[in-house]
Amino acid sequence: MEVKVEGGDDFANASYTTICQDTFRDLGVRASIDRVYLYVDPKDHVFIISVKIGRVSSPVKVDDITRQETEERYRITNEKYAPKLLALLWDKYGERAQQLSRLEITLKIDEKEIDDLKALIVYDPREDLVTRILDGMDRILPEGARVRCPISLPNRITIIASENTITEDWKKKAEEMVRMQEGVSEDV
Amino acid sequence: MYKIMMFEGGVYKFNELKELIEDIGGFILQESVMQSETMLHIAFPEEEERTIRNKIKDLGGKFTKLPLAGTEIIIVAPSLGKHHAVNPMCDIAEFLRREGAITNMMGLARGVGKRIAQITAEEKKIINEFDAAVFVFGDFKDCIEEKKKLCDQIEVPYLIVGGPPDLELDHYVGGIGRKTDRMRRKGEIDTLKTMTAELGKILDEKRLEVEEDPLAASPPFIEEMIEMFIPPKAGEELPVIIQLDGLRINIEEEDVGRIKDVEVGKKKLSEICELKKSLFKGYLLKIKTEAEVGGIY
Repeated sequence: MEVKVEGGDDFANASYTTICQDTFRDLGVRASIDRVYLYVDPKDHVFIISVKIGRVSSPVKVDDITRQETEERYRITNEKYAPKLLALLWDKYGERAQQLSRLEITLKIDEKEIDDLKALIVYDPREDLVTRILDGMDRILPEGARVRCPISLPNRITIIASENTITEDWKKKAEEMVRMQEGVSEDV
Repeated sequence: MYKIMMFEGGVYKFNELKELIEDIGGFILQESVMQSETMLHIAFPEEEERTIRNKIKDLGGKFTKLPLAGTEIIIVAPSLGKHHAVNPMCDIAEFLRREGAITNMMGLARGVGKRIAQITAEEKKIINEFDAAVFVFGDFKDCIEEKKKLCDQIEVPYLIVGGPPDLELDHYVGGIGRKTDRMRRKGEIDTLKTMTAELGKILDEKRLEVEEDPLAASPPFIEEMIEMFIPPKAGEELPVIIQLDGLRINIEEEDVGRIKDVEVGKKKLSEICELKKSLFKGYLLKIKTEAEVGGIY
């Protein structure tokens, strides 16, 4: 993830670069973001943040996070997905799926069903990627900048934030800035 | 005038030290014994420092100054949202506590933004209850300059903490700004030390003012009298907090009448103090000056 912050003084730019990196890392979306561009104008109180979405990791399947121990017994190998996995199994198999201990589950299913089970998608990062990125942007943008205006561009999420009304001028300026970034990044 | 210092050492002959403090007319403000380690915040008459130092020399242990001891400080952030809390507010509070201060935190209701930042009358009253306030602002020069208007309305001494290191404002310490993690790097710790030193200077000015027109009785002495009268309940932390010119007491409403009759020397507490309910917590005792009510003996 590449972060570029412009418009503020040296201290503010450096500080916001760290904030961008830390926030997106905390939300676990760093790997899915190509570039972050943040423009700050504290004088007019306008902040523009633009995130270019990159490759998204592939969906997590049951096979990726469980290991079959005996015919009916499975062990969860990645506890992070345990609640989602259990919810999915209970939903699909009802009482045939039981949780024995923290990481052990029993599944009474036919052999024919095993392949289907392994291919079941537990979590698709694509599902809530945009929500998480928007959450990150909200955490980065100053709290006082409550007036928000989105700009739609393909593969990008861009938001203008301010405490004042956002003028048409700023919308145009923001779009130009972001397009310029796009141009620059494509050349690279 | 009392001097407040901290003793850290072992439990060996620890009681002798406590007895000595009582004998010379000093007070123990805070005491914590953790297995074989002890920590004491001691208030004692300035002229008796040598006596205590000699005793500590015998016992072994550290005796350090607490520049902010005997003060209650409030840390004010524009809001309690994730943008401002918990970093760097908690680091600032921790450093102030290490220097002996009692700290509290507050997020303003409408303190965010630049033009829209406001402080309410009640918030101002709450801040004015403390000895000093530390305002934690963000990264932008323009915003801090604009937000200074919030601090100008405060009557107690204050310090502004913000990001830009080169801002020309009174009582301003830069280099902190917005943080996403703990301030644990060397440079950051040095900035926090500069901040505590700066606050120490501001409080020394206030201390001098109090000394010029001495109080009828010193806050640690009144604390001792109150605790003799109403012993602290088990598990209750800091029932009485010392301020530079008064105390904050966390008591039940039914004890308010009783507390007025506490004898301090030959006078009653109600004669030498003004008691009012705090907007923040407990009751506030403002000690009147000796010139106003005369000596207590």
